[in-house]
Amino acid sequence: MLNETKLSASVAEFNGVSLRYETGPEVLKDIQFTLQPGSFHFMTGESGAGKSSLLRMLYLDLLPTRGRVRLFGHAVDSLSRTAKARLRRQIGVVFQDFRLLDHLTAFDNVALPLRIAGVRENEIRRHVSEMLAWVGLEKQMKILPPQLSGGEKQRVAIARAVINRPRILLADEPTGNVDDTMAKRLLHLFLELNKLGTTVVIATHNQPLIKHFGFPQLHLDHGHLQLIQPTNKYADMASKLFKRGDNNG
Amino acid sequence: MAKRTDIPFFQDPSRLFLPWISMLMIFIASLTLAGGLTAYRSLSYWNKNVSGSITVQIPVVDEQGKSRSEDVQSDIEKALTILRTNPGVLGARVLENNQMRRLMTPWLGEHADIETLPLPQVIDVTIDTQSPPNIQELNTELIQQVPFAILDSHRVWLDSLIIMADGLMKLTVFILLLLMITTAFTVSYSARTSLTMHKQVISLVHMMGANDGYIAWQYAIRILKLTLIGGFLGLILSIPVIFGVAYFFKTIAGDFNCCIDSILLATLIGTPFVFALLAFLSTLKTVLTSLKRMI
Repeated sequence: MLNETKLSASVAEFNGVSLRYETGPEVLKDIQFTLQPGSFHFMTGESGAGKSSLLRMLYLDLLPTRGRVRLFGHAVDSLSRTAKARLRRQIGVVFQDFRLLDHLTAFDNVALPLRIAGVRENEIRRHVSEMLAWVGLEKQMKILPPQLSGGEKQRVAIARAVINRPRILLADEPTGNVDDTMAKRLLHLFLELNKLGTTVVIATHNQPLIKHFGFPQLHLDHGHLQLIQPTNKYADMASKLFKRGDNNG
Repeated sequence: MAKRTDIPFFQDPSRLFLPWISMLMIFIASLTLAGGLTAYRSLSYWNKNVSGSITVQIPVVDEQGKSRSEDVQSDIEKALTILRTNPGVLGARVLENNQMRRLMTPWLGEHADIETLPLPQVIDVTIDTQSPPNIQELNTELIQQVPFAILDSHRVWLDSLIIMADGLMKLTVFILLLLMITTAFTVSYSARTSLTMHKQVISLVHMMGANDGYIAWQYAIRILKLTLIGGFLGLILSIPVIFGVAYFFKTIAGDFNCCIDSILLATLIGTPFVFALLAFLSTLKTVLTSLKRMI
């Protein structure tokens, strides 16, 4: 269990949250934490520890069976469908299995959150082109996902998650299919967003990356949550990364 | 870069069968409407023309078939006097031979020598529709003074026609309602099937912040397009059939009021739009309701 200082304008606030699927055992038990605006956390834990379930609650795909979840100050269990849709537009999600729409080009996949938000088409063209160029996919804009490699799909998924500058970015193993250089490059993109105020939670098993960036870990163990603070060495590295503000891996 | 629909509708089987069903619905609806409208307008035409007139027949032969030619002229004069003195009668005149010939043309042909046939003399009576005469009393008076006179108010056959045309109108409305209900159910079923088929994509789009209306709108627009395409094909197919039937009726009954005019054409052109709008609204309702249960 972990307690962080609550701020009235917290991004996410879990209070005694438990979750079970139908009549099964509890997969998350008495979870208590607060994500402050601009925070950066890794989410760690063994497979089946409840990382995906916790992420699903954070992107409003699941409601707790017990306890209370507040997102951006709103109690999620009392939100209307329209209000939930509005909140979801402020959440960027990178799925482990990418969940790209196979009938849409890389461009249209990345453009999707902007179209849902009703952004004008000329702005969409500009933003999406810039974003795809940044993740190194400017030549694959018109390619359909089935023709992209695993790493390329992952970059499209990340570009889609961050295209509308979400207030919170949730990523499930976002660097699982890319090499180390690209992994660091993508993490720097997340850092850039973080510096602009986006709260970031990244579920990963990549220990070298966790150590390299040195952010606190939300560690799940058999449904229980623990906060692991980085050692001073890694914390210093993280603070240096914040100060540098460049994108070099 | 062209925007494609978020939901892969091209995978839906309904993209093939919906236009066909819509085509069939509009084809049947157009024929039904054309028939119903023609029946209604013919009835109005007959009612208007017939209710303002009655006829009195003076037979030229008696029940045994013996000629009564010497009495016919006096019978006509007596009948005309009775009719013209009735306050509900505006005028009465004996039909001339050429008018009789025209009346008999559909049965006897254009070149029949009707002078040699024992056709009755017909008095055409124009009545005041605002204060019509009491037909029963008029008939009694006529029979008293002209026993062979036959008064025909046309009501008997007109009433039968009114019942028939009224039945046709009700049948038209019933068929149209049936077609509309079938259309609504078909598009609703098709939308629900598609929602189940694309549940994952819809969940994803939902997760990115799409509200129910965003998804329902995409469905409704797609159904609108498919039903409009099918509907106009159905309309195009129905037009030659309607023209053919109208031509057939014109041939067998010259004064049959079944002409295709601007009102009928406008009604027919409007039909695919009405059905497409119905399909659009049914889809919106179905998707909005289903999404609440689904996600």
